[in-house]
Amino acid sequence: MNRLSFGWTLPAYSVLLYAFLYLPIVVIVLFAFDAKAIPGLPIDAFTTDWFSASLGDTRLVGSLLTSIRLALMAAVLSTALAMPAAMVLAWRPVRMKSLVLCLVLGPVVLPQLVLGLGLVVLFRAAPDLIGAPAIVLAHTTMTSSYATLMLYSRFLGFRRSYIEAAMNLGADEFTTFREVVLPLVAPSLIAVLLLAFTDAFGEFVVAWFLAGFTETLPIAIWTSLRQVISPKIYALSALVILVTLFVSVSAQVWILGQSRRECES
Amino acid sequence: MSAAHDIPRRRPLLRAALPAAGLLPLVLWQIVFFVVPVALIFGVSVWRTQSYRLIPAFTFDNYIAIFARPAIWRALLLSVETAAFVTVACAVLAFPVAYFIAKKAGRWRGLLLVAVIAPFWISIVMRVAAWRLLLGERGVINQVAMTLGLTDAPMSFLLYSPVSTAIGLIYAYLPLYVLPLYAAISNIHDNWIEAALDLNASPARTFFEVILPLSAPGLVVGAVFCFVFGLGEFVTPALLGGGKQLMFSQVIQDEFQRRLDWPSGAAMAVVLLVLVFAALALSMKWIRRASGETGL
Amino acid sequence: MTERSPNAVELRAVSKVYGASAAVRDVSMEIARGAFVTILGPSGCGKSTLLRMISGFVTPSSGDVLIDGVSVLGAAPYERDTAMVFQDYALFPHRTVAQNLAFGLRMRRIAKDEIARRVEAMLELVNLRGFGDRRVSQMSGGQAQRVALGRALIVRPAVLLLDEPLGALDLKLRKQMQAELKTIHRDLGLTFVAVTHDQEEALTLSDRIAVMNGGALEQFDTPENLYRRPATRFVADFVGNANLFDARIGGGGRVAADSLPLTLDLSAAQRGGRGEGTRVALVVRPETIAVGAAAPAHHDCRVEARVDEIMFSGAVQQITGHLPDGTRLTAHQSAALPAPERGATAIFSWPGQSVWLVDG
Ligand SMILES: Nc1ncnc2c1ncn2[C@@H]1O[C@H](COP(=O)(O)OP(=O)(O)OP(=O)(O)O)[C@@H](O)[C@H]1O
Ligand SMILES: [Mg+2]
Repeated sequence: MNRLSFGWTLPAYSVLLYAFLYLPIVVIVLFAFDAKAIPGLPIDAFTTDWFSASLGDTRLVGSLLTSIRLALMAAVLSTALAMPAAMVLAWRPVRMKSLVLCLVLGPVVLPQLVLGLGLVVLFRAAPDLIGAPAIVLAHTTMTSSYATLMLYSRFLGFRRSYIEAAMNLGADEFTTFREVVLPLVAPSLIAVLLLAFTDAFGEFVVAWFLAGFTETLPIAIWTSLRQVISPKIYALSALVILVTLFVSVSAQVWILGQSRRECES
Repeated sequence: MSAAHDIPRRRPLLRAALPAAGLLPLVLWQIVFFVVPVALIFGVSVWRTQSYRLIPAFTFDNYIAIFARPAIWRALLLSVETAAFVTVACAVLAFPVAYFIAKKAGRWRGLLLVAVIAPFWISIVMRVAAWRLLLGERGVINQVAMTLGLTDAPMSFLLYSPVSTAIGLIYAYLPLYVLPLYAAISNIHDNWIEAALDLNASPARTFFEVILPLSAPGLVVGAVFCFVFGLGEFVTPALLGGGKQLMFSQVIQDEFQRRLDWPSGAAMAVVLLVLVFAALALSMKWIRRASGETGL
Repeated sequence: MTERSPNAVELRAVSKVYGASAAVRDVSMEIARGAFVTILGPSGCGKSTLLRMISGFVTPSSGDVLIDGVSVLGAAPYERDTAMVFQDYALFPHRTVAQNLAFGLRMRRIAKDEIARRVEAMLELVNLRGFGDRRVSQMSGGQAQRVALGRALIVRPAVLLLDEPLGALDLKLRKQMQAELKTIHRDLGLTFVAVTHDQEEALTLSDRIAVMNGGALEQFDTPENLYRRPATRFVADFVGNANLFDARIGGGGRVAADSLPLTLDLSAAQRGGRGEGTRVALVVRPETIAVGAAAPAHHDCRVEARVDEIMFSGAVQQITGHLPDGTRLTAHQSAALPAPERGATAIFSWPGQSVWLVDG
């Protein structure tokens, strides 16, 4: 701790900022319990009816299930693409490495709007893929970038001598991977899977362009936001937000704990 | 007994091919679904349309048309202004928190950092939906303000205006700004700050002459990402900005999807891309420095 | 069994070039089966690179590596009959001590009960009975070191490679582990190749020492020969910090030092067949030098020097001095002898037959 102390101002400001970050979340959760048909202050009566109503709404629940299904596929696909690539990038001399890294990083900085429109043009060549397949392909492109970056830094921190020790004792590349690498990076792998899932689950713009008649949850909410919005939407959103927060926080705390353990050992 | 012979031998050729095999799927994937679409946008931007049909051609008419339509100019200007304002606002808002987490939070720093980023993972559509509840004419903020007697009539500029877009964007990208700032500030040794104070620098001078210059990599990287994302963001302006003052991304989307003039929309997308890459190129030096320091 | 090479490891002119610089250059070495060899040299001289070429993690730029008489150039690390003890031990953190020990045997598809039996025996050998179910993170430095050693030994490799195996231990533990290593080596009769930059460790442990400098092998010999008959200036200096005086061989086998008021009659053996006019350096071991008001009778080399510094380290006192022309001298003599006074002039003397010559 240094002596440059701001007294109570810094903590107080931080509390305000966290309040700002979590205010919309609190509000949406709060209004999910508002008994009025058009939510607004003051809330006179609380109800849990909107939750059961939203879970009874087949169209909403259908879009939720679609989102889960597609995001799951994108998460698995992008992790499967990212893991071997991250290992090679971190451990092997790669020719034109910066070019490869640019290729990997590109989708992160590219405006989603532009990627989405580009994919719309691309899929004109394969109109049959519009809908669920196109969404999965697009989300995989986006999430594999994040996944590669996260796994790349994990593998950079991986002790090479573990691998050498295994090989030295007679384990070939595949056995080494199965016996040593995989068990040690499994937590990071799961964390990356979870974050990729979360990212793909919530993505709207690109999915919207490529959706055709497929409806994901963000698309369903977008559509309803253009009409008079039903509190059912808030109820379902509240549920999803809480799950998302839980998943992303635990994934990141997990990664954090991992890197701390690495530092200590 | 020689153990070497008990171990199955694998062909050296296969072994040499392993690295390529690991990298190839991702590289191919990114070429097909990232490089090709971007190239297609560039390609389409020099085509023409005739009665809603694409005609392969080579013409700069679409670019010339952009500069001829003041509405597009205004949208581009509004987008740049808004992104710039959002960037500055995020920097000012994020800095104290990043400093607090990096220097004052002790063993809570990990959790506090995660808590800053967590809202970022919530679907943008849901976040924006929440802001509509807050900013609307009968929204939470107006209701509270009127109850407290701060204002008599609801503040109508809060929703469907560039103000609400800016608020939504600040909310969306604040977490992104805290991350690089945090990384830069945690790299500042307490000793350096101590040394400045010991040399009788006032806290203000210490801040401007030690802390601020040393957090510059984080400030620049955060700014670039904030600006780049803010410029291209579509959902927030579309849902919070209303239909009167359009942002550039809305115009592009409109051109593509409603007016079905792909070449014109693609030309605008290229302009957006050029801005994005200019911002990235100008700051490449800083991004390198920042990523070198955080070891990414 | 067909006729086996007497050498467990043979290096034939191996080099390793990284970009413009050579980490190892043209090293040839034969390591007899059952020997304990250490590779000694300053930091960055290529010791680890040499070891890793034997284990297969580094491919030589040129030359050949043979294990048990067979070239292993094309063989992957897991196809070579070597086992390595890593400096950071590299114990698998997700496995228990026993599972770590069993790893190499499992890779060799040995039956379960056989593995269990050998793991128990190995725990016994490395003094870790009852520790089998511990997590490796719960082991102390010395215990972890023993697990690492056991994990490599259990596969009974043709060569056991140790890269600074004791580097992470404190002095006391290090001495104890040196003794244990030596015992295990003798009991098992395996070939050990260890890397160290601690010359004392090398001298204590090994049958033969390979001294490396700047990627090249300076000398590969027994500890005694390294000490008594160093091949190069570098070896003489690095092993035992000898005094080196530039000199020149004159007529009739007489050697005249450039800076000392000294001429020596050396035997042909001492001259090593060098002819008249050759530039050489006299190697004078600090232990052979006596310092006092007078020289012992059999010390036929005598110089007068001013005493600069006297340092006691237990049984030995280290005396440094300089000649009028500035040449420095270091002597080690028993602390029981009277110490000369600092700043005084004293006679530094040594027997001529203990002098050794290296190429100047
Ligand atoms: N992968 C590599 N790429 C480039 N240079 C290397 C590589 N590995 C080693 N070197 C260089 O080769 C030389 C010898 O390295 P090596 O690790 O063998 O030294 P060492 O004798 O083991 O040193 P230390 O006692 O410090 O461990 C060093 O100058 C090192 O910088
Ligand atoms: Mg080394």
